[in-house]
Amino acid sequence: MESFRFCFLMLTIAILASPALSDLVLSKVDRRIYLTSHIVRISSTMKVENAGSEKESKVLLAFPEQQAKNMAYLIATPHEGKGKGKNPVVALPVEAANPKDMPAALTLYSVSLPKGLAEGDSFTFDVLAVFTHALRPIPEQITQADIQLVLYQDSAHYLSPYAVKVQSLSVKLPDSRIESYTKLENTKIHGSEIKYGPYENIPSFSYSPIAVHFESNLPFAVAHELVREIEISHWGNVQVTEHYKLIHGGAQSKGEFSRLDFQARPNVRGASAFRYLVANLPPRAHSVYYRDEIGNISTSHLRGDSKKTELLIEPRYPMFGGWRTAFTIGYGLPLQDFLFESDGKRFLNITFSSPMVELVIDALIVKVVLPEGSSDISVAAPFPVEQWQETKISHLDIDGRPVVVLKKTNVVPEHNQFFQVYYHFSQLSMLREPLMLISGFFFFFVACIVYMHADISISKSSASYLAKQQWEEVQAVIQQVQNIISRCLTTHDNLEASLRDLSRTGNIQACKAARKAADGLLKELSKELKPLLTFLQSSPSAAQVEELVAKERELQEKVMVKHSTVVDGYEKKLGARDIENRVALQQQKLTALRQEVDDLLEFIDEI
Amino acid sequence: MAPPAKPITSPVSDAWYPTLALLMLSIGLVVTASFFIYEATSLKRNRCLAKELITGGVASVFLGFGSLFLLLSAGVYV
Repeated sequence: MESFRFCFLMLTIAILASPALSDLVLSKVDRRIYLTSHIVRISSTMKVENAGSEKESKVLLAFPEQQAKNMAYLIATPHEGKGKGKNPVVALPVEAANPKDMPAALTLYSVSLPKGLAEGDSFTFDVLAVFTHALRPIPEQITQADIQLVLYQDSAHYLSPYAVKVQSLSVKLPDSRIESYTKLENTKIHGSEIKYGPYENIPSFSYSPIAVHFESNLPFAVAHELVREIEISHWGNVQVTEHYKLIHGGAQSKGEFSRLDFQARPNVRGASAFRYLVANLPPRAHSVYYRDEIGNISTSHLRGDSKKTELLIEPRYPMFGGWRTAFTIGYGLPLQDFLFESDGKRFLNITFSSPMVELVIDALIVKVVLPEGSSDISVAAPFPVEQWQETKISHLDIDGRPVVVLKKTNVVPEHNQFFQVYYHFSQLSMLREPLMLISGFFFFFVACIVYMHADISISKSSASYLAKQQWEEVQAVIQQVQNIISRCLTTHDNLEASLRDLSRTGNIQACKAARKAADGLLKELSKELKPLLTFLQSSPSAAQVEELVAKERELQEKVMVKHSTVVDGYEKKLGARDIENRVALQQQKLTALRQEVDDLLEFIDEI
Repeated sequence: MAPPAKPITSPVSDAWYPTLALLMLSIGLVVTASFFIYEATSLKRNRCLAKELITGGVASVFLGFGSLFLLLSAGVYV
């Protein structure tokens, strides 16, 4: 009903109004409407000619208001011709236009031509318009066994503010049943393609409505809301987490769902449902997970090569019309593929939209979480987005990480282009995290030190406290005595070592020098020992300590005697055998004494 | 863009994370052990605060870096 009234209005306008616009004329328009997906794409190749005398630089594109409401993406590029792919295609700037004396039910866009169009010149360019929710399911409710039929309405004549000399239209449908289509003059059907035209010399603002009613079993995947969180860690990872809320955007399912029928004959009972979704992740994606509120969903397949990583996911149940599902996909990406540095600023270069194939997103929110310590944040996006900043507190954070939030509605896969987020980050700020950990551990050690040093006894004058104090002092002195005696023993060992050296090299002078040094050292040590011994007189363990000291003195003397004998022997150039014989007895006593001293030391240790 | 963009990587290569974590943690634990041994065996009079603090500081540096690399090697990119 609506469309009927609309085209009536358009016809009236066409008849009544014929404004003398600029003198541009579209000499050739070829339109191709692709209905092979639930996202409708109209690709038009237009050749515009300047039939007037003034130089023109803008061409107006008109869309009926209802169609323009569903338009998600519009791009105009110069026509490539046969030799494609040499130069990168630069899009022509397109902006919304609002010229006066235009019918109100039209939405207009103006394309700026790269060079102005002089009189008689012509220019060919391509326009791609992408529409979402443009296929209307009729009937609107179907059971599991019905087929899904959708209706598409458009105009056979290209609606334009300019007159069109020659035009043609081709509608490409999926390889299924065509229920009905409008038959005008010059309508041919080849398999799943309907051709309207060519039409010649059509005046401006002409509108000839057509409707195509056909079966479409392609997955009508519509994401009602998608939140895409991109977290950057300078330690080597970009983590992307995507939260999806999916709806099947086709004909609503009514009646009951029979799992048995669906699994037995899926093509008959449930042809309109979809089971799989494919996502093309960037190459070298790792740690991919797929889960929802309940937990991990294991029905997924991952396959990677050098160009992309393909993720095939199967929701927990097949999606019929009007059914919803929600899940989360997460994956990690290597940092060097996406984070770059230029001019002192760092920037993240990553795709904007979801990696899923042929997914319509009603509301897309992209959150880019930058590491703590980032400043001077700015965003460069290839299309207008709404943006604001937030903070997120994550691992090892003090204040929180700055988050740039970008929001866009009505997003199609054509929007999956690269965008950049620029920010400033000093390399020293990377130390923030280890410093936090280090200070945490240091605080623990300081607490231990404080605990050991603190004296938390309640009464400082009770007998047990004083006794403990005394005992600790005695222990300290004993430890020091032990220390000194060990040093004495080391000196003895040094002397023995010098004797062995002597037997090896025959260097008597070195041996004598070692003896002198040892003598000096032992004298010092005995001096140190004196005050400690006097202190220990009063304590109970004095006996063992004195014994130890006495034994050590004996040992010392014996070692000295032995040393002198051996040195003498060498000076007199006696044979090795002789020397050995002389010291044999002393050696025995020495070893016995040494053993006793060691035992005593151990005993004192255990007090 | 006039100046070519240089890709940024982590200052420490990814492959080293587990090795570094193990190394730093073991050294840190050894120094911690020496710290606690010193605390347990020394008597009040003989204690030296400077030695305690230095041992504690060195131990906390190694433990801090070791736990950071442990977190990174486990996949928690902090």
